[in-house]
Parts: sequence; structure tokens; C-alpha cells
Amino acid sequence: MASRKKVLLKVIILGDSGVGKTSLMNQYVAKKFSNQYKATIGADFLTKEVMVDDRLVTMQIWDTAGQERFQSLGVAFYRGADGCVLVFDVTMPNTFRSLDSWRDEFLIQASPRDPENFPFVVIGNKVDLENRGVSGRRAQGWCHTKGDIPYFETSAKEAINVEQAFQAVAKNAMAQETDVELCSEFPDPIKLSGDNNKPQGNNCPC
Amino acid sequence: MATDHREAEQPVNTSDSDFQEDVEFVETNCVPGKCNSAVFDTTDELDDLTLNLANGVIQNHRGTITSLIRKRAKRSNTLKDEEADQDLANSIASEEANSIEQSELSSELSEDENVKNGLEDLSLQDTESVPEESPSVTLIPSSSETDYVNSLEWKQQKKHIFILSESGKPIYSRHGSEDKLVTVMGVMQALVSFVQDDKDNLRSIVAGDHTFVFMNRDHLTFVGVTRGRESTQQMLLQLTYMYNQVISVLTHSTLVRTFKQHRNFDLRRPLSGAEKFFDNLLNLMDVEPGLLLTSVRCLPLDSSVRDIVSQTIVQHAKVKDLVFALIIAQNQLVALVRMKRYYLHPMDLHLIINLINASESFKAAESWTPICLPKFDATGFLQAYVSYLDEECQSCLLLLSVDIEAFYTLSECRAKIKERLDRYNALTAIGNSLQRHSYSVQQCSIGDLRHFLYKARSTAQYTSPELGPPYNTPEQQDRLFGLYHFLHDKVHSVSRPLKLLYHVGKYETLLGWVTQGFELYAVFGPLVTKNVAIHAVNKLLRWIKREEDRLFILSSVTF
Repeated sequence: MASRKKVLLKVIILGDSGVGKTSLMNQYVAKKFSNQYKATIGADFLTKEVMVDDRLVTMQIWDTAGQERFQSLGVAFYRGADGCVLVFDVTMPNTFRSLDSWRDEFLIQASPRDPENFPFVVIGNKVDLENRGVSGRRAQGWCHTKGDIPYFETSAKEAINVEQAFQAVAKNAMAQETDVELCSEFPDPIKLSGDNNKPQGNNCPC
Repeated sequence: MATDHREAEQPVNTSDSDFQEDVEFVETNCVPGKCNSAVFDTTDELDDLTLNLANGVIQNHRGTITSLIRKRAKRSNTLKDEEADQDLANSIASEEANSIEQSELSSELSEDENVKNGLEDLSLQDTESVPEESPSVTLIPSSSETDYVNSLEWKQQKKHIFILSESGKPIYSRHGSEDKLVTVMGVMQALVSFVQDDKDNLRSIVAGDHTFVFMNRDHLTFVGVTRGRESTQQMLLQLTYMYNQVISVLTHSTLVRTFKQHRNFDLRRPLSGAEKFFDNLLNLMDVEPGLLLTSVRCLPLDSSVRDIVSQTIVQHAKVKDLVFALIIAQNQLVALVRMKRYYLHPMDLHLIINLINASESFKAAESWTPICLPKFDATGFLQAYVSYLDEECQSCLLLLSVDIEAFYTLSECRAKIKERLDRYNALTAIGNSLQRHSYSVQQCSIGDLRHFLYKARSTAQYTSPELGPPYNTPEQQDRLFGLYHFLHDKVHSVSRPLKLLYHVGKYETLLGWVTQGFELYAVFGPLVTKNVAIHAVNKLLRWIKREEDRLFILSSVTF
């Protein structure tokens, strides 16, 4: 394990439908924004390579469907995530209220080893719009009660803070990653008992 | 005996319908390569696979995941919400309905129908609709990865093999760097996960001339994609070899423990440096019939010479905790000595052969390397002492022990073994046999027989002649191997296993024949009749019987 390969992080984006999950991802990865709205069915995948503390990190970003009827990829989908981005729309208070259930849902499905310290990031999106419905303080407060989740206010449309938010996910996920090593200090030696190796099943009856 | 050819297929031309009467089919006492004392553990992996497949439902999910998900979406809608279902149906009917700009209707919605749909969407406070054209698992172009996956070079590979973790993290890809395939691997994981959600397992997908085969084992997903002649079953066998190779490097216990503790673990790290073993194993599978037949090829050798070799090992390597001692020359087994009560499975032996074959470093010095043999014991490592016995690095000695401290003891054994093999000119004999390249099919003096594979089932060994014309080019060899895959698949078909298959192809006639004692796959010229083919294989069996002392290891030697 001397030559460490690049690090790969699986990051999942969750949130109600229409809050801009796909737009955030497209802005982040492809620097593109479209006003056209298309529902995500199942999931989209994108990857982006970033530098975190002088290490090259590949982020495998899993954009999910917000709409319930397309959330059909199953529990295995969340398995083994390194980080999770929770997104709400700052103009729609109900999307903010959903964060609780998204977070719970994620923790149940992904069942990470250390749920208290799992690297979440909360994004309040669409700050470019006028009709603000959720104040920054309120969002900050919620994040604080959930173990000081980092909070970012972004606009996928105008590319505000998007980069920073994802960078924070990568950085926090990396912090957890470093203490993981293969669990084989000394593998179990084989004991010869004489019966753990079955004699051959002779196919030939003759 | 007449029942034996009841199953024979007559795909193209079989005019000689009277062959049942006049062909003395097989002399039952003639099973070349048969032996009563076990040389190998001969549980057949293919039988296991067959059992697995027969017990479960074989699911060929034809079609795209889009339609699957849409179907699912529809279904859940029907249960939940009639109105939404209507909306879904409308949306599917109209492609344009998805162009809604936030809560405003976009200017593109000019048709009344679309506006109506759009309004219905809004009235449901539900601005999402099902776009007909956009696939559910979208690969958004623009990244370099997408370019790479779409490159002709990558797409035109005949076979792809991928290994990913259950969280969708890439571990290995045969072609291209797995680093560039992060998205594709995510898609594969999504497919697997989607089907698992229904308490089901994704086994294979047929798309055009490609077959995708999936295998989940111990937190890992193995995916094989082929447009060759391998069947789903045969691909599963190849994926099983890949799984065994992973275990061989890590052990089963470590693999399971690691993923239990860290589901997001990046297995590339502990496997770094092992890529060459995966690559080499896959290359072997494309040219070495032994893996398909789960059997081993022995180096043709006079039985007296082979006796000297094995007796030398018995005498000079009689060391505590030494489980297996073997000599391998150019992927062929020269001799095997085992501890009483322990057997080496051919699948494990292929991993050993792969270890030697893939690594040049053993040629430089004596080596001491841990290796896990999954069929023998998947929970721990054996320690392998590896050293070539001759200057040309042809004959490789392997001593497998459970004693981690045994290196110097085994090194002494090696010196004694080499000294005695030199004295008896055994190494020269091995070298000569290697130079003669096995034997040509002409030596069997059977007209029109071009090539064959013969597997003695009780000993899990096989023999076949060298590849002569017309199979002397890589393309033709590849084609021949495809024919064997075809033949092997047909006789081992899950739904309809055959004892005998006579198949007239475009360029050659094939005969596959499976009995309790052996499997025979023979390739003839195109104009051979069934009668002639049957006579020929009977003659061939007699020839192999005469040569069996040279071609097979018939008696098992133990410490």
C-alpha cells in the first residue's frame, strides 16, 4: 500500500424535487446552467476530479430523484457513501422542513458506522431569487442542532458558492477516509485439522 | 449404449440415420486418464453454477433500465394516485410536456395539448413529468470520462470485465483505467441495486449482440460484458475465477471483515499491484481451455521420469506443515505431491499457475509469498516458496506450507531436489518435452480430425494437441476457442443437457460427447459424416488410452 492511488469519494445529493439538485451538480461539474426543468428519473451520475489538501480526489456524484415515485433505485443505492449533500430551496419553506426526513432516511438506508459524525453538507439553493422564504439564521440553527453541519447558500444559476459547498463535502469526507486501513494486521493462519478440506467427490462410480 | 446418442442434434445435414445400428459406440472400459486414487479435488465448479442457476430463476432482463424504472414508477403510481398516473400517461404521450421553466410555462409549449398537460402538472403541484426520451440513468456528456467510454477503442473490445464494490466504487476494469470508469460503475451498481430492491438478483442483460453478466459475492459485484461466444454460464465461471483471484490476494475473511467495518472502502488500495494477476488470468482464460474445463493439463512425460520427479519431492521435501509441492512448466503440471487428506482443486491450481505466469520476479530469486487458495481454505494464507529449477526458467518448483517460518527449510529442500533431478536428467527430460510442444494431432493418425479437448473427469485433467493449421493464426485460434465454448455450452446446457452433440458448422464439424468418465470435444473438417466422426472419436479414445501414462498423472503421490 505504499503507492496510494487516487481517492474516490461517493457523494449523494438529496432533497425535495425541484430544489435544484441536478442544476447544482451540473453547475459544479460542467459549469452549465439551464432554466429548463427535467425531472431526474432514478439517478444521474457525474464525476469530477478535485484537489483536496494536495491529494487528487475523484468525486463520484450521485444525483437522485427528488420525486418519490422515481426513487426506485433501492436501498443499495445509498450504500457506502462517503458524503451527503442535503439541498433545499430558500424560497420554499416546505423543502427546508423536509431536510429532517431526508437526513433520517439517508442514515437509515446507508447506515454509516458513525452517524453522528457523518460528513453532511446542507445547501440552501436559489439565493438569486427574490422571494426568500427561509432565513439563513433558521437554516444555520437547524444545522447546528444536527452536529454542526456546514451550511452554504448557493445559486446554481449564478454559480455562487457551489464550488465551495462541494469542496467542503470532499474535505470532510477525506477527513474520515484517512483513518481507514485494510483490516488485516495479521491474517488468520490456516490450521491443518484434516477435515476442513473435503475429500473429492468422485464423479466416477466405476 | 444406444441411448447415448439419443440426444444428438442434427442441425444441418445428417443423412446417415442408420448409425445407431451399426456403430459400436464406446467400449465402456475405455476411459483414458481415469484413476481410482484421487489426484485432485474434482468437484466441478460448473456443476455448482448449474445448480445455482437451476435453483434460481434465470432472469434475462431485456430492455433498458429506463423502461424498468418507468414501469416501476407507473406501478407505484397506480397504487397511490390515479390522477398522477393519468399525468404520467399524458406526459409520456407528449414529449414536450417536460419543458417547463420553473413554475412558468416555457415558450416552447405552443401546442394546446402541451399547455393542457403542463397545467395539469401544475394543478397537481407537481412540475415533474416523465420525459420520453431522456434515459433514467443519464450519462451527461462533457466529461473526459464520457469521451473515453465512447471511444471506439474501448467500445470495440470483445470482452469487458469489471469489479466494483457494493457501493459502486470501481476496483478493476480489464480495459482502460478503472479511474476513468467511475460513472459507468455507478450505473452498474444502480442496475444491481434496482433489481435487488425487489428481492431479486440481476443475472444478465442481453442488449443487441452484447451479453452483460452480473455476479454478486461478498460485497463485490463482478460484471462481464461479451459479444463473443461465451454463454452466461461460462461468463459466470470466468467471473468466479476473478472472484477467486481477489480472495487469493486478500483472503475471504479479510475481505468480509473490511467491508463490514467500512462499507465505503476503496479496495483498490490493498489490491494495488495485483492488477497484473487479473489481467493475466483473463488472458489465460482466452487461450487456455483448462479454465473452461476446470481441469489441468499435464506436461506429457514418460511415466518413469514423472515418477522420479515425484519421488524426489517426496523424499527431499518431507517437511512438517508442507501441504502441497508441485512443479509447473509452461502452464502445465509436471508433478504434484500432497499431504494425505488434502486435495488441490483445479481452480486453485489455475490461480497458482497464474501467479507464476504473471510475475517475472520469481525468475530472479527464490521467493516467499502468501497465497490464499479459496477452494482449499478461503480464510487464510498458505505460504508459497517459489523457485525455478533451471537456468532457462522453465520448471518452477512451488512448496506450499502453513508454516510462515519455513522459508529456509524449504530453500534447503529445493537445493536437494534440484541436485537429484539434475543427477537423473529429469530437468533435461522436462526441457525436451517442452521443446516438442506437446503433440500434433497427426500423431493420433485420425484423418480429418483437426483438434480436440479430452477431459478425464475423475482426475480433473485434460489433454489436447498443439494448435496446427488451420488454427495457426491468433484469429483462427480465437475462432476455434469460440467453437469450443459453443460446444461446451450446448452439452452443459442447464435446460437441456446433452450427452452427445454432432454439429455441422460452416467450416468444421463438431462432436461433443459427455459421459460420466470423460468429456470430449472434437473438431473435424466440414465434410465428415456422423458415422465417420463417431468412428474417429472411438479411435481417438483408444489412442489416448494408449498414451495415458504419458499424458496424465494417474496416481496420486502423498508425503
